[in-house]
Amino acid sequence: MKYLFVWLISIVFVFADEADDIVKAVEKNLRGDYMYAQMRMIVTSKRGQRTVKVESWSQGDKKSFIKILYPKQDMGITFLKLDTQMWQYLPKIERIIKIPPSMMLQSWMGSDFTNDDMVKESSMSKDYDARLLLKKMPIVTIELIPKPNAAVVWGKIVTDIDISRKVPLKEVYYDDQMQEVRIMTFSDIRQAGSHILPMKMELQPLDPDKKQNRTQVFFEKVNYDNPIDPAYFTKQALKRFSN
Amino acid sequence: MLYSLALKNILASKGRSITTFLLSLFTTVLFIVYVAFMDGSHVQIIQNSVEIYTGYGHINVKGYEEAKDYDHLIEDAASIETLLGKESSLAYFSPRFETYALLSNKEISIGSMIGGIIPSKEKNLSRLQSALIKGTYLDDNDTNAVYLGSDLAKRLKADLGDKIALIGSSLDNATAADLFTVKGIFKTGLFEFDSNSAFVNKTYLDTLMMSQNKASYFILRFHHDKDTFKEIASLNQKLPREYEALSWKDLLSALVQAMEVDSLFGYLSISIFFLVIFFVIMIFGYVNIYTRTKQIGLLRALGFTPGAIKKLLFGEHLILIASSVLIGALIGSAVSYYFHIHPILIPGLADMYKDYGVVIDSIATDFNPLTIGWDTLAILLLNSLSIGYPIRQINKLSVTETMRYV
Repeated sequence: MKYLFVWLISIVFVFADEADDIVKAVEKNLRGDYMYAQMRMIVTSKRGQRTVKVESWSQGDKKSFIKILYPKQDMGITFLKLDTQMWQYLPKIERIIKIPPSMMLQSWMGSDFTNDDMVKESSMSKDYDARLLLKKMPIVTIELIPKPNAAVVWGKIVTDIDISRKVPLKEVYYDDQMQEVRIMTFSDIRQAGSHILPMKMELQPLDPDKKQNRTQVFFEKVNYDNPIDPAYFTKQALKRFSN
Repeated sequence: MLYSLALKNILASKGRSITTFLLSLFTTVLFIVYVAFMDGSHVQIIQNSVEIYTGYGHINVKGYEEAKDYDHLIEDAASIETLLGKESSLAYFSPRFETYALLSNKEISIGSMIGGIIPSKEKNLSRLQSALIKGTYLDDNDTNAVYLGSDLAKRLKADLGDKIALIGSSLDNATAADLFTVKGIFKTGLFEFDSNSAFVNKTYLDTLMMSQNKASYFILRFHHDKDTFKEIASLNQKLPREYEALSWKDLLSALVQAMEVDSLFGYLSISIFFLVIFFVIMIFGYVNIYTRTKQIGLLRALGFTPGAIKKLLFGEHLILIASSVLIGALIGSAVSYYFHIHPILIPGLADMYKDYGVVIDSIATDFNPLTIGWDTLAILLLNSLSIGYPIRQINKLSVTETMRYV
């Protein structure tokens, strides 16, 4: 009996370690050391459909810079994320605005993504404890539960991962009442330089009131292999690269 | 015969009778006045909350109260305005457009409620204009002018004339951004409201948010505030299916519930005091009856049955209690009425309460004859019951025991 108990405990730890390693590998693959991308975002809601085109530069998980290319009225709006802080530059009023923590859950550019999604303030590997739920090679299902003192939004995340390509296929987000809140699906997985990336992401809120809502993101250009100019990750860049 | 005997007995033991009378009188007055003040403060808190901004009634799209987003806007405000224009029961109404946006001054950014209002109409519907403490109130021709809550202005470190950036989402989900000059600063005393709200002219906000001919809701005020519930019910019959009319009770349901819970605790607190009074009166009755044991024994020997003794003693008690409760009710009503007409002004009270989101600078009673009636009945019943135990105890003694009682 004693041996069975020790064996069971060991299995739990082995599975937890394995799950942690998988989550870290996926994050590393998606983020890379440097990443440049051009994306097209289609936001569908009750009020209609809207397309936003953005260009982004990032270095690891700490620094990122985003510039809006389309539509015309939003063109030139830039966002800078440094660690857990976020700023926005609005060319129309020529002001740099710091986005306060209270606005982190607000919609980003009218999409179903929040400001928090954009800055990725929370990290799956750092803020969540991972547990392997199912292994059906090459797909694994992992449950992510927030660490006790982690400042995160979700009560739980359950993700399906293709471990052969180190990419997520589906992420289900739960609130603190353990109710499903939104589902993110990843598709069109392709090689992008030294990394493999899902070129299409779709986010669907599960609120019955937002049945028609969805946000699709298409990667149109991706480059992981060239270092990014550090000048992008300064507050001056917000205005400088706005045009 | 029992009545005259009871009256004689009351007069015979004047000291104890007067004490019982005064105790009962005091309890009645205190209870009526206490409840009147408690209800009065609740009425005042709710009335302030209603009149400062919420209003007596709203018309909105069904579901707006649960999800105050762009998916629940009134899409054709003009048609609702036409419909309301025909309503003779309405004294005033106006559309409002509310959104959540970022206000930024220099390095400080704060997420706030931005209200688009029609300044001239709002004067009759809320206390926004009278809450002005600095600068001037908005007018219908204002463009880039903002009217800031005093605590929001403090948090933003903004003053009159400062240019504040407003960044939000327009109805087409594009970024809506503009600079607004602080035209006025208001303080209602509702702390949460003053620290999270800013207002601009709706006509201008509509051009920024692409919300022309749209509204979050219409605020309503009827000719007679007391008719609000009746008129709201009538409006609900006339409105198109996708709309609903709500009264302040629906809009401030959390506050109403909090007041009900507060009342419950108020009644519980005073009931402890009444329990003490109940036992004091009972002990007085007990002593009063037992000092007359021999007299009761004599009556029993003369042929009085225990039932007749019960009637006699209860009659004595009832005469005392009923007269004292009646006089107490009259005094309590007079006091309640006086403080209903002349509230007690307490300087500094508003500051003390503002952290709780409550605006009160005076304390008034709620003079409600029905409540007073119920309070009086409750005291009468409670005090009448207090004599039950002593009567039961004395009736347990036999005639011989009562005659020999020392």
